[in-house]
Amino acid sequence: MEFRFLPKKGIAIFVTGLLKEFKVYGPVKKDGFLVYGEIASPSDLNLLHTPTPLSPKQYLFPPRETLLKFRNNNSENKTSIEPVTEAHDQVLFGIHPCDIHAIRLLDRVFAYGTPDSNYLKRRDKTLIIGIDCIPDKHCFCRSVNTMTVESGFDLFINDIGAGFVIEIGTQRGKELLSKYSKTRKATIREISKIAYFKKKKMESFVASLNAEASTLPLIYSGSYNSPVWEKIGKICYGCGSCNLVCPTCYCFDVRDDINLNTAETERYRVWDGCLLEDFAKVAGGHNFRKTRAERLRHRFNRKFQYQVDKFGGLFCVGCGRCSRTCLVNINIVEVTNELIEESNKDRG
Amino acid sequence: MNSLKSQTKTEVEQKKEGDKRITSTSQPLNLSSSVFDISSPYISRLARIDGVARLTEKERLFKIAIEDNKSLGHSPGQFIMLSIPGYGEAPISISSPPSKKNTFEICVRAVGNLTNALHRLTKGDRLWIRGPYGKPFPVEEIKGKDLLFIAGGIGLVPMRSLIKTVLNTRLTFGKINLLYGVKNPDEILFKDEMSQWEGSGNISIQITIDKPHPEWKGHTGVVTTLMPPLKIDETKTSAIVVGPPIMYKYVIMSLGDKRISGHDIYVSLERRMKCGLGKCGHCQINSVYVCQEGPVFRLSDIRYLREAI
Repeated sequence: MEFRFLPKKGIAIFVTGLLKEFKVYGPVKKDGFLVYGEIASPSDLNLLHTPTPLSPKQYLFPPRETLLKFRNNNSENKTSIEPVTEAHDQVLFGIHPCDIHAIRLLDRVFAYGTPDSNYLKRRDKTLIIGIDCIPDKHCFCRSVNTMTVESGFDLFINDIGAGFVIEIGTQRGKELLSKYSKTRKATIREISKIAYFKKKKMESFVASLNAEASTLPLIYSGSYNSPVWEKIGKICYGCGSCNLVCPTCYCFDVRDDINLNTAETERYRVWDGCLLEDFAKVAGGHNFRKTRAERLRHRFNRKFQYQVDKFGGLFCVGCGRCSRTCLVNINIVEVTNELIEESNKDRG
Repeated sequence: MNSLKSQTKTEVEQKKEGDKRITSTSQPLNLSSSVFDISSPYISRLARIDGVARLTEKERLFKIAIEDNKSLGHSPGQFIMLSIPGYGEAPISISSPPSKKNTFEICVRAVGNLTNALHRLTKGDRLWIRGPYGKPFPVEEIKGKDLLFIAGGIGLVPMRSLIKTVLNTRLTFGKINLLYGVKNPDEILFKDEMSQWEGSGNISIQITIDKPHPEWKGHTGVVTTLMPPLKIDETKTSAIVVGPPIMYKYVIMSLGDKRISGHDIYVSLERRMKCGLGKCGHCQINSVYVCQEGPVFRLSDIRYLREAI
């Protein structure tokens, strides 16, 4: 592992350099919220280290994305199909460890089986510059082993007060850092500061799960008939906000848009959510997950059991966004702790 | 000596760098070098309607010819993603047996935007297809067995591909029964075809109508009411069940009464699908993606899969 030291004021020069080659997306303030947005200058960046309500998944898996274009030439009676990929060189700047873990999971999802060319081409043009963060009352990454990250980034920035200690993740990241900034080798003392801040971070968590991460799939598989689902199903609005903000929710719908002279049709995909009523409804009208309780159970299990069986690794990265955004305060940590408690009781 | 040393070092360094590139998980699963060779899995093949037959008020049988003149290459039980630009794309079961020709058949009920648009098309009109997708019926595994087909409503559509495949090599199978349940007499699909199948003495067919109907002289009652008198050798029977969600539970119980093991029962499950590639999440039953691991399942494989049946 290689660490470089960058003085605080050096970050602006580095970002200015990146902007020459890439579109850069990072945490910015918008209407009072900290969100990921495109930046035009380093001063737009808001590296507050606090959680963002929305994840950066939108830059790899956009909320609306064209997949195909159909073209009709009615006069010549010809028709054609053309694949569309919207990808450009981009840097995701200031990504927190939980979201880096989430991106690694999405990489697996879109690469397995029939690879998804749209995602992978965009991913290939993306550099990830991580940054360490400060947990709020909803964060529980410590409980799902995503508090720190060893790979999955090109560079990772640690704020040690007096400056930044930057961890090199890839050759590409190293080259960019040396191209656009003046860094020096970090001293042992500076590197050890990272551990110091990590220890402080560890102590600052409010929320935590009362079981080991590795036991969660089993706990969830035993919780299918738990009264918890009915209980939260009763208050859930089925609005799908949790799906929207989740960095590992990747379900989508595919739709068509036809232009008025019918010469061109765009086939695009949009984010979909398993909490929405129609999600599992078939043409004949049968709905395979009719109630909100069933849909909530499906979503929670996707995070802690179903996708784990398929891809390995929990699909909850502990970012707390679903709890933070839920209109009726359904809290993923509380729900999971209730299931853990039930499971402990069952085992006597 | 010195130059050799430095050369070795460079090699080691290069190797290290190479390793680093490969182990970098920032790149998606080492696909980076070949990622631009991946073509879009949503690309479809152009096809034309080669014939339309009206089967009932709501269902039509379409013969479809693929423009590139290559065969679809499907097996019984698989499906395609069919699209009409502007109306969208949907999974549709293939209803004809495998063929070396560039044509195949689908039978479609007009229920939504896309299927209603399809019903408005006539011979020569264009549409797009991709696939085939999904796990087919295990034709090889059921060879030599007595076959019990149980269909409800348009469940007969994907089953027809298998029935016709089986009838093409009739001698390699034992006794064949088809039990077919529909709501009303005017909803019976493939009437003429069925009497042909039956006429050749190759298959015994019983049709039942859910509720009494003035025009119906045959059996009345749900499809399970046909089962008690049926003589079945449970040691050499495979059952193939396709129908609406509600049907499975009861048919499976009745098959249990006949002592047919879950290992010998095959079902085809319907789910909403948007991609056919195991990504969009709509067809997911617990950790199973129906478009990948189904739609055909052996019952014993999904008996404990909650929400499957």
